[in-house]
Amino acid sequence: MQLLPRHYVFLGLFLLIGITMVLDIPVDVDVSPYTKQMYAYIDSIPEGSTLIISFDHEASSLPEIRPIALAVLRHTFQKNLKLIGVSLYPEGTLIGYRLINNVAKEYKKTYGNDFVYLGFRPQYIAAILAMGESIEKTYPQDYLGNDYKSLPMLSKIQNYDDIKAVISIADGSLTTHWIEYGGQFNVKVLGAVTAAMVTTYDPYLASHQMTAMIGGLRGAAEYEKLLGMKGGGSRGMLAQSAAHLYVIFLIVLGNIFYFRSRKKRGTS
Amino acid sequence: MDISTIIAGLLTLTIFTFLYKDNPLYKMAESLLIGVSIGYVLVITWTNTLMDMLFEPLFSNAELSLIIPLLLGIFMLGRFSNKTVALSRIPIAVMIGSGAGIAIPTMLYNRTIKQLSASVMPIFTDSGGFNISGIIVIVGLLATLSYFYFSREHKGKFGVFAKLGTYFLMLFFGTTFGYTVMSRMSTFIGRMEFLLSDFLKITH
Repeated sequence: MQLLPRHYVFLGLFLLIGITMVLDIPVDVDVSPYTKQMYAYIDSIPEGSTLIISFDHEASSLPEIRPIALAVLRHTFQKNLKLIGVSLYPEGTLIGYRLINNVAKEYKKTYGNDFVYLGFRPQYIAAILAMGESIEKTYPQDYLGNDYKSLPMLSKIQNYDDIKAVISIADGSLTTHWIEYGGQFNVKVLGAVTAAMVTTYDPYLASHQMTAMIGGLRGAAEYEKLLGMKGGGSRGMLAQSAAHLYVIFLIVLGNIFYFRSRKKRGTS
Repeated sequence: MDISTIIAGLLTLTIFTFLYKDNPLYKMAESLLIGVSIGYVLVITWTNTLMDMLFEPLFSNAELSLIIPLLLGIFMLGRFSNKTVALSRIPIAVMIGSGAGIAIPTMLYNRTIKQLSASVMPIFTDSGGFNISGIIVIVGLLATLSYFYFSREHKGKFGVFAKLGTYFLMLFFGTTFGYTVMSRMSTFIGRMEFLLSDFLKITH
């Protein structure tokens, strides 16, 4: 494998993903029990209920997070649920605001009545605990500078008692804090996380500390299938399958070269 | 095409040049990313933290109790001089003390007690059959814990059981690695989608 310069490996991946995305052949995905559980839970929430959606991620994970967030946001707006957007990572603040606004426009939802965006608060543990006491005291104003009380949909929202669930869109361990600290107030926590974090949250799902979870681009594709729409998740499935086959091919090739070179060393 | 898409597309391609080799263009894009990220975080911290939560309530609404966190924050800056470094220990002590006070019972409950109780499942299912996954979980848990039990030499039956624990660990590492590869590929695919659709307009 040392004979194969690394940039050829990258070039191969670049071409493979580029070609498969241009071809845009639809790939049918089986919906996992995780995604079904997440979809069913959001689907079961009565219309008009309020959810918190927390953008707990950095800008670097946006390419993976975006299709997941869009799928979940579309489902919530389809179901006429009211959304309170927050962010516990500074970098997620503007991204969350843009995403929630773009999807709200698709469904003709109005700011203040159907959704609000409260923005960032530092010290995530303190912020989660403080919202359990009073969301208004934690966010006296929204992201745009409007007073909490001036926003109609927040008039009856005091704390987690008035919230059906928190959806944490995360690329790291912040959902853990929603589970552990938000859990003290008995709020249901749903995760929409990057694939790398799935194994971290699996134990919380098994112990029912977390209500449901979707993970990665695959999770987004499955969710889009349940919603009956095409999005970034389903568009990326052919490329992802091809990329995985490419990685498997490289691992096999690397092992063949390794054992051959070991055999050669042994005979010499 | 708007200017932000052009800038984003060009910077993405610039970052990709690193895959060939390190070069000044890549370094420029990398420095730009770090600079913009820090600048953005500073602005958000200033407006959403210092202004919203400290200066405005303190000076506009006369919430005098906020003088305490303000002083603690100023003390933290004492670290920059040897003469005032002792002052910085006060806010650090407050942070560690309160942080540990909040975190220890929460973590003990959520990560130990709740997880432990979730690991203990009935051996038989409601229909009378064996709860295979429950048995795998308990065997995996005990075998993995045995591997990390160092007060007894890993020999004989105990050694075999501890060795079994390493296989469970390998399964976990393999799964995590697989998911991580999937995650990185997804990030790359997301960026390629942006390049092909928004920037180059090849796909829709």
